[in-house]
Amino acid sequence: MKKRTHLFNLFEIISIITAAVVVVFTSVLILTIIVRGFPYLQEAFLSEEIQFSIKLSLYTASIATFICMFLGVPTAYALTRTSFPFKKLCQIIIELPLSMPYLVLGLSLLLIFSSDLGKALKELGFRVVFDKNGIILAQTVVNLPYVIRFIRTAFQEVDERLEFISGSLGASKWKRFTTITVPLSKNAIIATIILTWSRCLGEFGATLMLVGATRMKTETLTTSIYLNLATGDNGAAMASATIILIISFTSLFITNWLGRKNSKESRMKDVTLR
Amino acid sequence: MNAMVEIKDFSIQLGSFKLKNINLNIFDNEIFAVLGKTGSGKTVLLESIAGFYRRFSGNVTIQGKSVIEIPLEKRKIGFVYQDFGLFPHMTVYDNICYGLKIQKMDKEKRKKKVAEMAEILSIEHILKQYPGTLSGGERQRTALARALVLNPKMLLMDEPFSALDPATKQSMYEQIKEIHKIFGCTILFVTHDFNEAQIMADRIGIMVNGELRGIRKSTDLFKKCQDEDINNFLCGNSRGEKDAI
Ligand SMILES: Nc1ncnc2c1ncn2[C@@H]1O[C@H](COP(=O)(O)OP(=O)(O)OP(=O)(O)O)[C@@H](O)[C@H]1O
Ligand SMILES: [Mg+2]
Repeated sequence: MKKRTHLFNLFEIISIITAAVVVVFTSVLILTIIVRGFPYLQEAFLSEEIQFSIKLSLYTASIATFICMFLGVPTAYALTRTSFPFKKLCQIIIELPLSMPYLVLGLSLLLIFSSDLGKALKELGFRVVFDKNGIILAQTVVNLPYVIRFIRTAFQEVDERLEFISGSLGASKWKRFTTITVPLSKNAIIATIILTWSRCLGEFGATLMLVGATRMKTETLTTSIYLNLATGDNGAAMASATIILIISFTSLFITNWLGRKNSKESRMKDVTLR
Repeated sequence: MNAMVEIKDFSIQLGSFKLKNINLNIFDNEIFAVLGKTGSGKTVLLESIAGFYRRFSGNVTIQGKSVIEIPLEKRKIGFVYQDFGLFPHMTVYDNICYGLKIQKMDKEKRKKKVAEMAEILSIEHILKQYPGTLSGGERQRTALARALVLNPKMLLMDEPFSALDPATKQSMYEQIKEIHKIFGCTILFVTHDFNEAQIMADRIGIMVNGELRGIRKSTDLFKKCQDEDINNFLCGNSRGEKDAI
């Protein structure tokens, strides 16, 4: 009997080549940023302004991510596990902003918060326009539809029969949610957190509309890039971009590492597909 | 005898399949077997009794109360799914322990109960494994253990012994009967095995194309009746079935 073992088949080769093309293209993109930004990196790290914007970016992105998850998880649960009137319509409304340019979302926020309502809130001590709170709000508004979309999909993938069984074993809806739904969509939830956080770090359009770009006041890393570009300082701009890269790289690395540790046991783990 | 479960004029439409006009009383402490061809609606019947579906006509009551009006967690129904429905992110131990933990039973007691159950079903050696690594029979026994450990007043089982070898099956029959005697629960189970139905059940019902027909004592299983579909099913031929090509 003839026994041929292909190390690769055609489909594998094509997929690997495609991946290689994507990797090369992305690497060139990233390298350009690093090569241009690196010479200015030390200077940037030492500058008070950049230190301020790193802190501001990390702070606003973290709070915005938290708010997104805080609002997104219950909303996704309501959309996938409960029934209420006009559910489908609600879902469409929630996801409609996905197609809006961020500039427009920012403009809407500006219009809302410079109205009488916004002024009243300001009187009460909650400043939005030209304030840190505005950055958080802009990042939240832009990312919330994504978060809900991702979490909703993750919840949908959880087999509802498992929740039914859990209920028949005595678990309340809350327990079913915390012991079955959430653990089974844990990976998707973690991925969503990281993605949202990265997207918050990179958010610019809506933030610019709502809080403007004032040095040392509303200057996030992306705003700093914008300000430096506006004054023709490409090197400094790329230095800020490199800092965002470093932060993203670290967070992606950490999540991949965490993800490796909690992969579920399966019979397939010892199987090599050849 | 009191009826544990009363099903009255129950119908449900799922896609192109319809469960038609089911009428059945299952008595307290009874063991009832459901036979029927594949795709005839046995699983849907079980799920309907457990209150899985919301849109149907007629009604199902458990101890006089409409099943969907009882919150799921208070129904005290043990459900063993055909594909077992084990929680993939928990070990066998945690799967079995799940309901006890929910009841906030203390840890030592929990351990003891799980150990007892594991011994009865001879799965002590796999308690630390995850469901993804188990054999079919091990999964089945884990699912059984998880339901039984709570002593439910009502046990619904979908082909609970199908993945077991003849010897294990025999001992499982004994175990389930023993458990049934000690805890006094009502059992409704689906099987493809006539012999199993006769050994285990007091009464037997046969599903034909979404209808529950020919309900009879298990001792009368093979008694000829007017219903040709049922006679054919029991003789193991499919003549006259409308979906036979
Ligand atoms: N949610 C659903 N939507 C559409 N069709 C469904 C749904 N659930 C079940 N069915 C159909 O209803 C029929 C009965 O299904 P059921 O699972 O009850 O069969 P069964 O008698 O348990 O068969 P088996 O012995 O193979 O387990 C099948 O044809 C199935 O495809
Ligand atoms: Mg079935």
